[in-house]
Amino acid sequence: MHRVLNYLKDLFSWARLKAFFFILLFLLMGEVISYLFALPVGGNIIGMVLLFVALKYKWVPLRAIKPASDKLIEFLVVFFIPYGVGLMVYFDLIKSYWLPLSIAVIASTLLTLYVTAIILQKSGK
Amino acid sequence: MNFSFLWAIFGIGITLVFYALAGKIKRFKIAFLNPVLLAIVGIIVFLKVFDIPFEAYNKGGKILTYFLGPAVVALGAFFYEKYEELRKDLRLLTIAVVIGGICGVVSIVFFLLLLEMPMFLIQSLASKSVTTPIAVEITKNVGGIPDITAGIVIAVGVFGNVFGLYFLNKMGITNQRAIGAALGTAAHGIGTARAIEEGKIPGVYSGIAMCLNGIVTAVVTPVILHFLL
Repeated sequence: MHRVLNYLKDLFSWARLKAFFFILLFLLMGEVISYLFALPVGGNIIGMVLLFVALKYKWVPLRAIKPASDKLIEFLVVFFIPYGVGLMVYFDLIKSYWLPLSIAVIASTLLTLYVTAIILQKSGK
Repeated sequence: MNFSFLWAIFGIGITLVFYALAGKIKRFKIAFLNPVLLAIVGIIVFLKVFDIPFEAYNKGGKILTYFLGPAVVALGAFFYEKYEELRKDLRLLTIAVVIGGICGVVSIVFFLLLLEMPMFLIQSLASKSVTTPIAVEITKNVGGIPDITAGIVIAVGVFGNVFGLYFLNKMGITNQRAIGAALGTAAHGIGTARAIEEGKIPGVYSGIAMCLNGIVTAVVTPVILHFLL
C-alpha cells in the first residue's frame, strides 16, 4: 500500500503536472494551427513539431518538459491498447479479406525495410 | 448510481492489469509474444468470455486514448533528445527515411488497389508503417477506421520485430545504421525494440527513423490518397 501511495505521489508530482501542462499547451497550439489553416495534419503532430522546434531553439528547456514526456512515452503503448481491442468490432468486416490483406501488408513492409536500408548502406561507409 | 462511471473504471483497470500481466510474460523472450499484442488478445478474450460489449469497455478505453494527443506531442521531446546524438549524418538518414516512408505508403496503397480491396481498407492501412498514435490520427484524417489501423500497425510491428532483421541479412544488409533505420521506418516502436536489442547505434537510428517517418507519413498520406484515388 505504501509503495502504491509513493508511486502515485511521484506520478502526480508538481514538476510532472507542470510539464504535462506545457505539453497540453503545445497540443492546444497544434490544434489551433491545424484548425485555422485547415491543415490535413492532426493538431498533435503539429504540436510535436512545435515542441521539437521550441526545444531546439531553446525557447523551452528540456527539463521543463521531460518529467511528463518520459512518463507519457513510457505509457504510450497502453494508450492505444483500446484501439487494438476495438479491432474485435471490425473483425467480421476484415475477416473476408485477410489473405490479400496479409500479402499486401507483408510485401509493402519488406519493400520499405529494403529501400530504407539500401539507401543508407550504399551511401554510408 | 451512475454505472457508466463504473464501466470507465473497469475499462481502465482491465487494460492496465492485462498490460502488466503481458509485461511479465515478456520475460520469456519469445519475439512474437509482444506485450501489446498479448494484452489486446487477452482483453478481447476476457470480454468475449464474460459477454461484455466493446462499448462498455470503451467507456474507460476512450479515456486512455485521450492521452494519445499529449503522448504524440511528447514524442517531440524524445525526438529532440535523440537528434542531439546523431546530428552529423542526419541528412542522409532523413533522405533514406523520407524515401522509405513514401515507399511504404505508396506500395501499400498500390498493392491494395491491385488486389481490389475496398476503399475503407486502403484509408485505414495507408499509415501502417508508423507508430500507432500517429497512424491512428492519420487514419482519422483520411476517413479510415482507427481500430483497424491499430490492429494492423501492431501486426506490422510484430512482423518487423520477428522477421525484419532476418530478411535484411538475407538481402545482404550488414550496416548497423541501415538496419536500425529500416526497422524504425518500416516497423515503428516494435521494430525499434528489436533494433535496441541489436545495439546502441541501431537503436538510436531506429528511434529517430520512427519519429521522422511519423512526420513524413503524416504529411504525405493525405496528399498521396488525394492524388491516387
